[in-house]
Amino acid sequence: MQVTETSTEGLKREYSVVIAAEDMARRLDGKLQKISLNISMPGFRPGKVPTSLVKKIHGDSVMGEVLDEAVRETTAQIIQDKELRPAVQPKIEVKDFVEGSDLTYEIALEVLPDIELPDFSKIKMERLVADIPEEKIQDVIGNLASQQTSFEDRGEGANAEDGDAVTIDFEGSIDGQMFEGGAAKGHQLLLGANTFIPGFEDQLLGTSVGDSREVKVTFPENYQATELAGKEAVFKVDVSAVKKPLPVEINDDLAKKMGMENLDALTKAVREQAVREHDNVSRVRLKRSLLDILADTMKFEVPAAMIEMEFEQVWSQVEQDMANQGVDTSGIDPADDGALDDMKTEYREISDRRVRLGLLLAEVGRINNLEIMKEELSQALSQEARRYPGQEREVYEHFQKHPEAMAQLQAPLLEEKAVDFIIELADVSENKITHEELMRPPGEDEDEKAVLESFEKKGKKSKSDGDGKGKAKVKAKKPASKKPVAKKSEGKKPAAKKPAAKKPAAKKSTAKKTAGKKAPAKSTKKTVKKT
Amino acid sequence: MRLATPYDVIIAPVLTEKSTLGSEHNQVTFKVASAATKPMIKGAVESLFGVKVTAVNTLRMKGKVKTFRGRIGRRAGYKKAMVTLAEGDTIDITTGV
Repeated sequence: MQVTETSTEGLKREYSVVIAAEDMARRLDGKLQKISLNISMPGFRPGKVPTSLVKKIHGDSVMGEVLDEAVRETTAQIIQDKELRPAVQPKIEVKDFVEGSDLTYEIALEVLPDIELPDFSKIKMERLVADIPEEKIQDVIGNLASQQTSFEDRGEGANAEDGDAVTIDFEGSIDGQMFEGGAAKGHQLLLGANTFIPGFEDQLLGTSVGDSREVKVTFPENYQATELAGKEAVFKVDVSAVKKPLPVEINDDLAKKMGMENLDALTKAVREQAVREHDNVSRVRLKRSLLDILADTMKFEVPAAMIEMEFEQVWSQVEQDMANQGVDTSGIDPADDGALDDMKTEYREISDRRVRLGLLLAEVGRINNLEIMKEELSQALSQEARRYPGQEREVYEHFQKHPEAMAQLQAPLLEEKAVDFIIELADVSENKITHEELMRPPGEDEDEKAVLESFEKKGKKSKSDGDGKGKAKVKAKKPASKKPVAKKSEGKKPAAKKPAAKKPAAKKSTAKKTAGKKAPAKSTKKTVKKT
Repeated sequence: MRLATPYDVIIAPVLTEKSTLGSEHNQVTFKVASAATKPMIKGAVESLFGVKVTAVNTLRMKGKVKTFRGRIGRRAGYKKAMVTLAEGDTIDITTGV
């Protein structure tokens, strides 16, 4: 095997390799002999087929295999000998090869940059800590309590007041035309909860059992069902029950209802939950600040191919998102070319940052021999499986069958470890801030999450990990335009907004929500793992 | 005459473990028409493959007696010819004519 370096430019390397004809012939013969042992042919006992005959019959396809193998082996050999660390799969170009001649091919690859790790102990960071105010916990408990509210009939003739629950049958029409999802029977509506379109509930105030009313409302302009948006609708409403809420006392009984032993236990559980949340948020922000610092201070050359790959993934996701949202890119193109280009440049920068941080963290992991324990991995796996209730078995199987999917699981774990490692070394001071300050989502929190996701050991990128990131990014950029599609399917409540999420959940950090939303049934996308 | 062309005489090469043994002695084995004679086979092989034949040995392969659904039947037999080629001549029997 003869290897000549044809070009070295930055991180790019190109080699020309020549494998002698005899070498190829030897490889072919070896292969044929192996095959002839296993082949079965009429007229011959198994294993007794002459090699020459095998060659005549299967020679061509075997040659292809041999060629592949030879190229792969020698490439690996070269990489090992020259101590290269390729950033992406090397590009291999085989010039035409005929049997009996030398095999000549070219390898083009980009190597990972040599990263000089900085002295992490010089990094100064602030860990944000905050006490959880007592009111907050009481608030949460109050919220929990209000979900347990029971209602009592107001009795005949009583008028519905704000906060009452009314049971109604309704039929909605626009210009005398019934529309889809505009009718329901026995629907329980909490007045003042603003679950229906604005104005609907107000007009039901003062009704009593047996009343019929025509409610005229206008759908908001930005209503999610576009065909209804901005239209005036008339709802014929029959009230069949009016109930008033019973005040809920916060006591041991309530706690028992919620499966806790007593009020103290409930309070404790809520507090623990809050503390966990705090820790999470504080950790995420610490991590983000660390990544910011690293991104700013660590300048090194990044393989262009990796950035390009990352960008492609992000961009295709962006395009898909735009298409989903009905933004017509082709419409923008001619009129406003600049805007699209601007966006591309922006995403390219983001890709650059992601790749750079990914490489850096991988390097930290590599140099310091950070490894993922089996238990940690299986923990992550079961966590992943739990996200698809009812399909756990399939998820497990998927991961067993696809090692590359497994690698995707490993990546965030390893990255967490690398981050932990750095944080441990770094000079971290504590900064006490208020609860509100801590909980306020920092500007582009999600972007940082996405960066973390992009990290993969040795920079081997897999296809699917672009999705999550791209999505997260888009959300960070234009939160307003992103409405969960799920809302639309709430056909039963025609004019209903989805009840403003479950109360406790609503307080989770934005990042967490993002993770929740991108969880389509079958796919095995990477998730933000919170530790 | 029934066996008018060389193609009528030579039916197929015999490709078995035993027949490949003959290749060491520059012998090629063919399945030939049962009515073919040694001179006919010699002529047919020489004209089809452009080689010189020094000897032809033939034998009749009897069909096996087989029972199928309780009835006795007999497979067709054929004539096999081992053709010895002159030194230096070869026939690639896998490529066909």
